[in-house]
Amino acid sequence: MTNIMLRAIVRPEKTPDVLQALLDAGYPAVTKIDVFGRGKQRGLKIGNVVYDELPKELLILVIDERHKNAVIGIILDAARTGTEGAYGDGKVFVSPVEEVYTISTGVKEAADVKTTVTV
Amino acid sequence: MKEVLAVIRMNQIGRTKQALVDAGFPGFNAVKVTGRGRQAIEAEAVEALNQNPEYATEVLPLLGRIPRLIPKRLLSIVVSDEQVEPVVTTLIRTNQTRNPGDGKIFVLPVTETVRVRTGETGRVALDEMTG
Repeated sequence: MTNIMLRAIVRPEKTPDVLQALLDAGYPAVTKIDVFGRGKQRGLKIGNVVYDELPKELLILVIDERHKNAVIGIILDAARTGTEGAYGDGKVFVSPVEEVYTISTGVKEAADVKTTVTV
Repeated sequence: MKEVLAVIRMNQIGRTKQALVDAGFPGFNAVKVTGRGRQAIEAEAVEALNQNPEYATEVLPLLGRIPRLIPKRLLSIVVSDEQVEPVVTTLIRTNQTRNPGDGKIFVLPVTETVRVRTGETGRVALDEMTG
């Protein structure tokens, strides 16, 4: 079993939809961070004012690699603006996760055979 | 090089900082985050409210809107490969109350580190305590 980390940057107003969709699909575990950033559109330009750092929310999920496409699909469907999507809807990044521990039990989750870490 | 990402309880940050320094890991980043795990406990949010009433404005709206998003701290510690195990052990020992909600630790690969001040890369750019 290989775990991967998804980092999804989404519109703040879309976060509740994404979280609910993930919950409904059986992926409740999420960490959320408020972030500011810009993409290749270089922020927003309204008249002469350039908004360089736009508020977004960063959602972090660690899942089994086998569920990657399903979860990314859920995030994309819930975070997209309308049916066509729009600039600023966000990005999803995927990184490998080598080890996962649950602090309350001290159990290392990544291995097939669960091993308890003695402390 | 590995990045150790740990989600821990808000009220454990002080103890964790001290424990990491004692174990020889002075450098880390911490972010206030909200999150939920696989366990559905409203009681946890209530407990978090009791212990940190100053986050009430943050927590209360979340309770109504999205169930079970609880304030947590996310720690990021980048260490060399052989130091992953002592960091993980320190984090588990310091943060374990054996109740759900203690948090999770993720270990991710890091391909390069650059110290901005000097431009040094690789191992020397990591904050390693000497002596």
